[in-house]
Amino acid sequence: MSVESTASTDTMEAGVPAAKLGVWWFIASEIMVFGGVLASFILLRLTGPGWAGDIEHNSVLLGSINTLVLLTSSFSIVEVLAANKAGDLEKFKKYMGITIALGLLFMVIKGVEYSIHIHEGLLPDKSLFWAFYFGMTGLHGLHVLAGIVANISLLVVVSKPGGLARYGHRSEMCGLYWHFVDVVWIFLFPLLYLG
Amino acid sequence: MAAAENHGPKNIVIWAYLVILALVSVFVSLIIPSPADTVVIFALAIAKAALVLMYFMHLRVENIFIHSLFFVPLALVVVMFFGFMPDINHWLY
Repeated sequence: MSVESTASTDTMEAGVPAAKLGVWWFIASEIMVFGGVLASFILLRLTGPGWAGDIEHNSVLLGSINTLVLLTSSFSIVEVLAANKAGDLEKFKKYMGITIALGLLFMVIKGVEYSIHIHEGLLPDKSLFWAFYFGMTGLHGLHVLAGIVANISLLVVVSKPGGLARYGHRSEMCGLYWHFVDVVWIFLFPLLYLG
Repeated sequence: MAAAENHGPKNIVIWAYLVILALVSVFVSLIIPSPADTVVIFALAIAKAALVLMYFMHLRVENIFIHSLFFVPLALVVVMFFGFMPDINHWLY
């Protein structure tokens, strides 16, 4: 067994594998980042009559589709974890492929929305709402992109001979991160599309 | 923990709840006038996030270290939010 795999599966004194504890520490820092931005948005929203005029430019249909896409990807990555526990490589590859495809679909839809906004001249310097919109969705989009890269990397190494036994446990870490990205969108959607 | 994760509703049931709550959020935004709808929509968002955290991220069966890593930063964000509230009130009134 390599040093790398030993380190990631060793259980710390906290009673949690080191890699999992590391991901939760990372999520803790991300809660502060996204929590701070979301709190700032809500506080500034409370100071005025609202941004109804700006929010009307956002397509509730596209936002709803993207919400369903991410919620479904959260389900599919949970099935990846179940496949790893069952030692089922085909199921692992199938659901990880679905998760990656849904992540890419989310980014494509977001790209379509961005192009519409840019075409309409709705850029970050247009108003405080659009500065927040591009800042929050851009930061979230980067996290989705990072999740896609992590999931593709895991799919590649798991597909190698003996890969599932050696690297399959990493699906839990990828899953935790992916779910957190989903949770962030769960709050961005009502604030930016329905608020 | 693995055994505890297997208890409770199946993943597909949780996914169905999430989809239903998401659709209800959109429906509420269409039928209830603003700003009353905001409270309901945000409450639904909290419910959706709780489902993902408890069942997909297995927070309900994790130990105190993991709970601390989630709830402590969340509490700090809430403290920051209410800490800035007086400034907002100054702007409002």
